[in-house]
Amino acid sequence: MTFFTKFCIPFIVGATVMFTVLAIKYIAWLRNLPKSDWRLIAKNFFSLRTVTALWEVVSESLLHRRIFKVNPALGYMHMSLAFGWFLLIAVGWAETVAYLGMRWVPLQGHVFFKYFAALNNISAHNPTFDFVMDLLLLFVLSGVGMAWLKRVRSRILGMRKTTKHVAFDRIALSALWFVFPMRFIAESVTAALYGGGGFLTSGMGAILNKIASNDVLHHIYEPAWWLYSLALGVFFVAMPFSRYMHIFTEIPLIFLRHYQLRPEAMEKSYDNFEVEACSRCGICIDPCQLQSQLGINDVQSVYFLRDRRYNMLQQKIANNCLMCGRCEQICPVGINLNTLRLNSRSSMRNIPHEGRYNYLRDIDKSSGEGKVGYFAGCMTLLTPNTMSSMHNIFQAAGEDVWWADRDGGVCCGRPLMLSGEMDSAQKMIDYNKALFTKHQIKSLVTSCPICLKVFREQYNINDIEVLHHSEYILRLIQQGRLKVGHTKDATFTYHDPCELGRGCGIYDEPRAVIKAVGELLEPAHTGKNAFCCGSSVANTAISDAQQLSIAVKVAAELEDTGAQTIVTACPLCKKAISRGAQRKVVDLSEIVAQSIK
Amino acid sequence: MKHVIVIGGGVAGMQCASELLRQNIAVTIVEKQQCIGGKIRNWHKLFPSFTPADEVLAAMQQKLTTHNNLTIRTGCEATCITPQKVTLSSGEELRCDATVIATGFTLFDATVKEEYGYGIYDNVITSAELEQMFNEKNVHLKQGGEPKRIAILHCVGSRDEKVCQRHCSKVCCVTGVKQAIELKKMFPTADVFNFYMDMRMFGPGYEEMYREAQTSHNIHFVRGRISEVSPTFNNRLQIKAEDTLTGRPLKMGVDMLVLLVGMKANAHNTTLAKDCNLTLQPSGFMQPKDSFLGNVASNVEGVFYAGAITAPKNIGESINEGTAAARGVVEWLEKR
Amino acid sequence: MINFGFSINRARTIDLDRNNLRKSNEIIGEMPELQACIGCGSCTASCTAGNLTEFNFRKVHTLVRRGEYQGAYEEMNKCMLCGKCRLVCPRGINTRGIVMLIKRKLGDF
Repeated sequence: MTFFTKFCIPFIVGATVMFTVLAIKYIAWLRNLPKSDWRLIAKNFFSLRTVTALWEVVSESLLHRRIFKVNPALGYMHMSLAFGWFLLIAVGWAETVAYLGMRWVPLQGHVFFKYFAALNNISAHNPTFDFVMDLLLLFVLSGVGMAWLKRVRSRILGMRKTTKHVAFDRIALSALWFVFPMRFIAESVTAALYGGGGFLTSGMGAILNKIASNDVLHHIYEPAWWLYSLALGVFFVAMPFSRYMHIFTEIPLIFLRHYQLRPEAMEKSYDNFEVEACSRCGICIDPCQLQSQLGINDVQSVYFLRDRRYNMLQQKIANNCLMCGRCEQICPVGINLNTLRLNSRSSMRNIPHEGRYNYLRDIDKSSGEGKVGYFAGCMTLLTPNTMSSMHNIFQAAGEDVWWADRDGGVCCGRPLMLSGEMDSAQKMIDYNKALFTKHQIKSLVTSCPICLKVFREQYNINDIEVLHHSEYILRLIQQGRLKVGHTKDATFTYHDPCELGRGCGIYDEPRAVIKAVGELLEPAHTGKNAFCCGSSVANTAISDAQQLSIAVKVAAELEDTGAQTIVTACPLCKKAISRGAQRKVVDLSEIVAQSIK
Repeated sequence: MKHVIVIGGGVAGMQCASELLRQNIAVTIVEKQQCIGGKIRNWHKLFPSFTPADEVLAAMQQKLTTHNNLTIRTGCEATCITPQKVTLSSGEELRCDATVIATGFTLFDATVKEEYGYGIYDNVITSAELEQMFNEKNVHLKQGGEPKRIAILHCVGSRDEKVCQRHCSKVCCVTGVKQAIELKKMFPTADVFNFYMDMRMFGPGYEEMYREAQTSHNIHFVRGRISEVSPTFNNRLQIKAEDTLTGRPLKMGVDMLVLLVGMKANAHNTTLAKDCNLTLQPSGFMQPKDSFLGNVASNVEGVFYAGAITAPKNIGESINEGTAAARGVVEWLEKR
Repeated sequence: MINFGFSINRARTIDLDRNNLRKSNEIIGEMPELQACIGCGSCTASCTAGNLTEFNFRKVHTLVRRGEYQGAYEEMNKCMLCGKCRLVCPRGINTRGIVMLIKRKLGDF
């Protein structure tokens, strides 16, 4: 039996190139993993995590469960291509075994089995396999059809915008589009000439027999298989350099993620797995307000990852992101988009001199003796209503408070972090930590979600309980230390600040507090899907007018609820939204302070 | 007899009405408030001459009361304005031959600039409230007593993109100087500080008054905009600014902070523009037909503007525009 | 202060005939809104860092615009990027963006 013919060469070359490049890439990335990451892998390898990772590989890499959840049509498209192709390979292998028994067959023997079966005069056909293989081919072809459709009219598949691609992607994409139609034609011609094939290929074969003479069919027989092989070969060569790198990369990524590897403040080798696992599906484009509101089309996560991968990332792209987390939340591959962007920002800056924050010394301007610390946050100093409301709440609850920054403090460090300056942020963190320790506070309340996030995630102050004022106020109410009156006809709507909601997972507490004093009306986008106010400190690229434009849109949606008052729980959101709103915008603490009995 | 409806009974509207009456044209003034007079009713003395506002008001009202062809409709707003017809908020329709819109401006709501603490701290007041206090001859701190140190902040709600008010309100600078002098006259031992971004002394006598404030009254002028206000433990106000001329941050405790609130376009202008096909400027004020040859004309023939409906203006300018609008109306009526 | 050996003090005059405005023009070219500054000082007054040390954002960026780059990078690095200045700027200048831009452009001065 022979399993080689000339048209196999493109396929063999392509497959060799692909596997070689893949091996080189993965080995290099793994070798460069820092020791701490290797320790995590070693620790978690022989554990249940490997099993759960395996399950996720099936559900995500093959079935694309998460895309299904976002958009069923898109999910089907991805599943039909990935799972369908996988099954074609797996069932195809089983088919060769069924025909030839357990024996070694070179790769191309499996892939071009229909050709070699005819060549080697295997005339007895297995109708079950013929049927199943055709069914699978139809399954994949339906996905290819949808992919075509998506290129032409993305809206049909529920996407306002689809990704713009680079040259390698276009080559790979075109090749991929031809792989399955070519296979269909090659197998149909084979069926027409030599019989066999399931409902699809033999059906097509019968048509071909009708419209073309045997002579013509013999003439196109070899070229059809050539084209199929060429399409495969081109795709394989382009694959490791294109978006399709994600097909394989997602698998090691899932394992590594289950072993607790994460991107960090500085770029590291693990990031490669996340960056190249992006399939550029473009799901991140639609939720991006910079796109929908401002028409900025080149900064979304998909483009950021693409540019970073090809080493053509520009600072203005990296900086132009609200880091609202709306894309990260929806990303079907679960890539840590914000952290990756942050460490990109970090590696793109000038290294500042060490003594730049030497002035952070002996500047304690705090007041009060209490064991409950209140850190208003820089921005809150510009919303004195919040400050005075918190003052009234503390007084009503009989809380003895240490005021950390009423007369000016040191920034929490989060804004610097968000600009990729972790080392600078660390100096703020060290300063404030020392301050908290010096005053021996037991808990720390802040009105600023930006501060809250960094206190919780970077400060490592485990003996101090860090609370957002929404959590703190709710606790006071629940403990009966704060009595508030409920006004039946007071209607409020609530804007989730990004750093509080998606950032810290605090959705319920502010709502519970609002419900304690009045009626809550939810806007169209709320909770995990809430909009960003547009003034995020993470974005240093958009202009004031652009910030305002986003705020106007957000405010309009909040006002559409018909609520009398817009409530938020972040000084920055408050400032931003009140610029765009006709109705009153207040902080959560204000409505509580007004309702104290 | 021709009949013209003047919407707004402030200085511009009153002047326009009296000029029209003089030309033997019947006039109806539509006024939102319970009596005509407009904002000048709340002012104490007018810059730069310190003329009592009620003198000016009384003189203008005097011209109107003697006329039989005048109808004054108070307590009602105009919802739709065309040259032939004005619809009131009650739904009533008034027929006419031409209309003049003289609805003026709205004072900027200082609570929007939260960092200045208006509505939060007791002794943060607006310039309008200070005029009221002058009128009542009772300038005092909330807790009682005289202010020893007063800060006056310019440009509150003017030239500020953060509150979507790009324009200069024109009269606040000189009002700040005037009020500073009045305060100083009332409390000779008090320190008065004006915090400004630019001093725009555009009118006759303004610059002289500015100089007088500096030299004769020892009023301090600090070039820097206050960024935030916070309370001190002894119930005073701590203000922060940059003294930009020395390039150093400045903080001080004051007993009273006066916010020179700017002129904001009426919210009503937007609906008016939409319903009556009138053109609006980006600032929200109405767009006159031409800034040189059609100052008091609108883009709709037969609809005229007078006063601060088209831009911030001082009282003298508004009165002049009242006259000019009346002249425009007469010309238009003659042409028809 | 750089001592070239022929002068004890650096010239106090901002000499616009001598100052090289290339970097300044680059900075303004990238963010033209910086020219909209009217020098009200709100940024410096509210500045968290300026409250603690001699950092004056308004002064530094004005000097940079005049072609006086000496020390600007070091000064800008004192900024904590807290964003208060951006919230108070009446001209809507993207102050944090300016800080980042000057740090990027003048890193070698």
